[in-house]
Amino acid sequence: MTATHRPRRRLHAALTAALAFAISACSGDKYPNTIFERHTEFNREVLSIFNTMFFWSALVFVLVEVALLWVLWRYRRREGQPEPKHVHGHTTLEIVWTLIPAVILIFLAVPTVRAIFRTQAKAVPNALQVQVIGHQWWWEFRYPQYGVITANELYLPIGRTVNFELKTADVIHSFWIPRLGGKRDLVSNHTNYLWFTPDSADETAWNGSCNEYCGASHANMRFRAFTVTPAQFEEWTAHQKTPAAFGAVAPATPGQPATQPATTQSATTQTATTQTATTQSTTPVTAASFTGWPADRMPAYTEPTKPIPAGISFNAQPGDPARGQQIYSRSACIGCHMISGNPMSMGQIGPNLTHVGSRLTIGAGLYPNDDQHLALWIKNTRAMKPGSIMPTLGKGEYDPILATTVTSGLTDQEIADIVAYLRALK
Amino acid sequence: MATIAATPAHAHESHAHPTGFMSWMSTVDHKRIGTLYLFTALFFFLLGGLEAEIIRMQLQGPNGTLVSAETYNQLFTMHGTTMIFLAIMPLSAAFFNYLIPLQIGARDVAFPRLNAFSYWVYVLGGIFINLSWLLHAAPDGGWFGYAPLTTRAYSPGMNIDFWVLGLQILGVSSLAAGFNFITTIINMRAPGMNLMRMPMFTWAAFVVQFLIVLAFPVITIALVFLMFDRFFGTNFYTTAAGADPLLWQHLFWIFGHPEVYILILPAFGLVSDVLPAHTRKPIFGYPVMVFSLILIAFLGFGVWAHHMFAVGMGPIADTVFGLTTMLIAIPTGVKIFNWIATMHGGSIRFTTACLFCIALVAFFTIGGLSGVMHASPPADLQQTDTYFIVAHFHYVLFGGSMMGLFAGVYHYFPKITGRLLSERIGKWHFWLTAIGMNLTFFPMHMSGLLGMPRRIYRYDAGQGWDGFNLASSIGAYILAVGTLFLVWNIIKSLRSGTRAGNDPWGSPTLEWAIPSPPPEYNFARIPTVTSRYPLWDMKQPALTSEVPHSHRGDKEMEVAVGGKTVGHPHPGPAAQSTRVSESEMHIETETYTPAQVGIVLPDPTVKPFFVALGMVIMLGSPLFMHEAQIREIAGNAAGHRTAMTMFWIFVLGGAALMVGSLYNWLLTPLESDHH
Repeated sequence: MTATHRPRRRLHAALTAALAFAISACSGDKYPNTIFERHTEFNREVLSIFNTMFFWSALVFVLVEVALLWVLWRYRRREGQPEPKHVHGHTTLEIVWTLIPAVILIFLAVPTVRAIFRTQAKAVPNALQVQVIGHQWWWEFRYPQYGVITANELYLPIGRTVNFELKTADVIHSFWIPRLGGKRDLVSNHTNYLWFTPDSADETAWNGSCNEYCGASHANMRFRAFTVTPAQFEEWTAHQKTPAAFGAVAPATPGQPATQPATTQSATTQTATTQTATTQSTTPVTAASFTGWPADRMPAYTEPTKPIPAGISFNAQPGDPARGQQIYSRSACIGCHMISGNPMSMGQIGPNLTHVGSRLTIGAGLYPNDDQHLALWIKNTRAMKPGSIMPTLGKGEYDPILATTVTSGLTDQEIADIVAYLRALK
Repeated sequence: MATIAATPAHAHESHAHPTGFMSWMSTVDHKRIGTLYLFTALFFFLLGGLEAEIIRMQLQGPNGTLVSAETYNQLFTMHGTTMIFLAIMPLSAAFFNYLIPLQIGARDVAFPRLNAFSYWVYVLGGIFINLSWLLHAAPDGGWFGYAPLTTRAYSPGMNIDFWVLGLQILGVSSLAAGFNFITTIINMRAPGMNLMRMPMFTWAAFVVQFLIVLAFPVITIALVFLMFDRFFGTNFYTTAAGADPLLWQHLFWIFGHPEVYILILPAFGLVSDVLPAHTRKPIFGYPVMVFSLILIAFLGFGVWAHHMFAVGMGPIADTVFGLTTMLIAIPTGVKIFNWIATMHGGSIRFTTACLFCIALVAFFTIGGLSGVMHASPPADLQQTDTYFIVAHFHYVLFGGSMMGLFAGVYHYFPKITGRLLSERIGKWHFWLTAIGMNLTFFPMHMSGLLGMPRRIYRYDAGQGWDGFNLASSIGAYILAVGTLFLVWNIIKSLRSGTRAGNDPWGSPTLEWAIPSPPPEYNFARIPTVTSRYPLWDMKQPALTSEVPHSHRGDKEMEVAVGGKTVGHPHPGPAAQSTRVSESEMHIETETYTPAQVGIVLPDPTVKPFFVALGMVIMLGSPLFMHEAQIREIAGNAAGHRTAMTMFWIFVLGGAALMVGSLYNWLLTPLESDHH
């Protein structure tokens, strides 16, 4: 470049360096939802535009504020000063400061238009397809290429383009994983698409959230995304495809009569389908295979921190999963939830629970998936999560939406059994 | 206030300003209506501020539990709705009312009773929406009320009913006022006050009225659709029946974006009039300032979908709306540069009013620049619906609109009340507001870019947002203290503020040629205007004699409308100073009764109030219909009948009151003959 460009280039370089410093301060575990990361081509594109904008904005900001402060200092009123000369305008100056912003805007507009068309092009044909369906207030994720349906926890293979097909079951939501890409709304009666490739992402967990106000628990409509190796992803999908694990895979607690299913018939069905699935999948499901993100590797920023609301408690003996399966299968649960392998449980309204035991959070990232939280959740979802559509089930509990006390609900012991059953669905 | 009004010589014989409750209820004087607007809007500003304080208390740390999710959602919805429709717009309306006739040399607005009607609709509509708090059913759909969340299927309560009905009521107020001011500015300017001599605030007001009359019908249509969906089972937004919810979004933002300029341009206008007085220099580049106002307003109608980059409109629409949005930066930038150029070479007095003007220039710049940053659709996908946007529009609306309006309050309070606001308390107010505002809203840029979504009543710990939220909350508490200084200042200065006299600031425009507060009739003799700065022409002819436009412009702009010459050749004030002060422009120091100066003024009347009351009752009555529908679903037939009866009583009663009062109003002449 010629010498005339050098000062500007230097300024540009200095500002970019300052920005890079600021960005590095904004990344990592300290700011776990930062947009200043480059794990996908989407974010690299956005960040490059953001940097251009930030550079020009910072420049204009500094010039305007410095000019303003200088004028204030220089032309402050002084004692005995005559009335200032009346100046009514200066055509050349005004043309100049009309044109300068116009020229700056060209520098912003060109990369913007380029990025619009790049990010909104069709995704590559072999992309991983993920259907995202927004619900008040949780996320349904479907992998049509793998026949997997899950909720609130999204698994993405590193290096493969993922194409999200975004739909909503009710109101408008917005899907966002800040460190991986921009957001896109889930609009009723529309299908939207968003794609990116987590090509330089580590094996880790990310936070995702709903960003379009969608009612009472909008703040509680969150999800976790896990970027895993392609091999782990294959193992995970193979496992997710299997019917409910209860009775087929090692029981949750040693000593529990996990081999005593509720009905003989369903047990045979389960075993049979499990075997079929196992033989079909490329990676056999073994004890060592990757069936879900290990809880001990959850980064701190993905751990739910919401305390249990006041006025709700739970008191029961440790539950029995077999009894839990029976209670579950004759309770209201089955009207809304699907457990593949449990023929009674074919509901379509709530999250698919086939492998709920392998999930790390419940209530769309609201609470950790442990016995206590799950029990309280079943007992009084509406106290645990404002506005929840899932009714309050605990006997004697106050339903804050219906404003009545539940008279014929589940006892604490029954809930404990259901919890044992659900937790066994690894 | 009223007794201060008259100069002592005429105080007890004139009764220029009647006092008492009924005099305020029945007033049709634009100045008193403006005063009512001012104090009502300040009250709603405090209410909206209180809502904001509760929001900040809830978000001060992670997992806040001060209010429930439902209450929080009502709070942020009502904070936005209150600040936009009940505080900032009416604060602007207060200045429109008070200043437009004074600045153009008129005795009142074109339709004084319609003006009273606008105010009463506004205040009753504001009360109506806020009544919802009593039922713990305040609107909770966000100020933008996106369908289908706001349809019955997802918002079965009365919350949204209050919102959808209340906004329609408020729209009537804005539209009536809009037509009134347009008519006033077009028809009632003093001789010689051609368009390019109008003060900048009147220009801003003029432009804003067009925005209002073009934008409010759109939101009205959107609201009528929603109302029909909610009460009569139509399917404009019923997604289950195949409706496209983007219909609402487009209609809302075709209104919503011009609304941003409805909120900010009056503040721009105020600053453009206040700065010259406090820097002793005319506004730099008046014609460009006028054209940039018009250009901003015009472009403002072509950018609405930049609120919708995340909804998936496709690359073509994203490109078009991204680029038009960027274009708005040009006229806006010109205004900023011209304000700085106005100060350049001046003699800047750091009065509170001037400080607020400077603050607008300094802070609005930040809001403007962040606005350009999300004009780029790909970048916006990482910014929209996060706290970055919250930071942006608060820099525009607080750093811009409110700073300009505060400047207006400090500058015009002496004109309105006859007494100056305390500069000492004013400085406290200013510095606490400036510091509090930046401490509240600047960290929101960071929390937004670090991934914090908007409209969340709680957030997890360990998300990297705690520090920024704490800073924002502390800033909000400082803002609250600063606002208390304003309240104290107003109360104290109303009682014991320094007497202002006609023109405490040495301002150049017509409103300062008459006593403070102005007499009922404004101008005993309608002035003849020969330049943009008539008072400076009189007081400092040497300075203005060199003004290029004040003679050259006259000759160029001399136009005849309907045989009447509106532009007058300007002989040059220096050469003709005697003539200027004696026959064309003059200072009025005495206050008389209208009768003394032979001016016939409109009669006070409460009819506009009753028309407004009837209308609000009528438009509010569907609440009973909703109650009836709820009871019907619950199988309570008797309750259903009772509620429907109430509905019919209220809707017919309200309609009867409205129509009856309206006929009575229309059949009564504006002025009685006995003068």
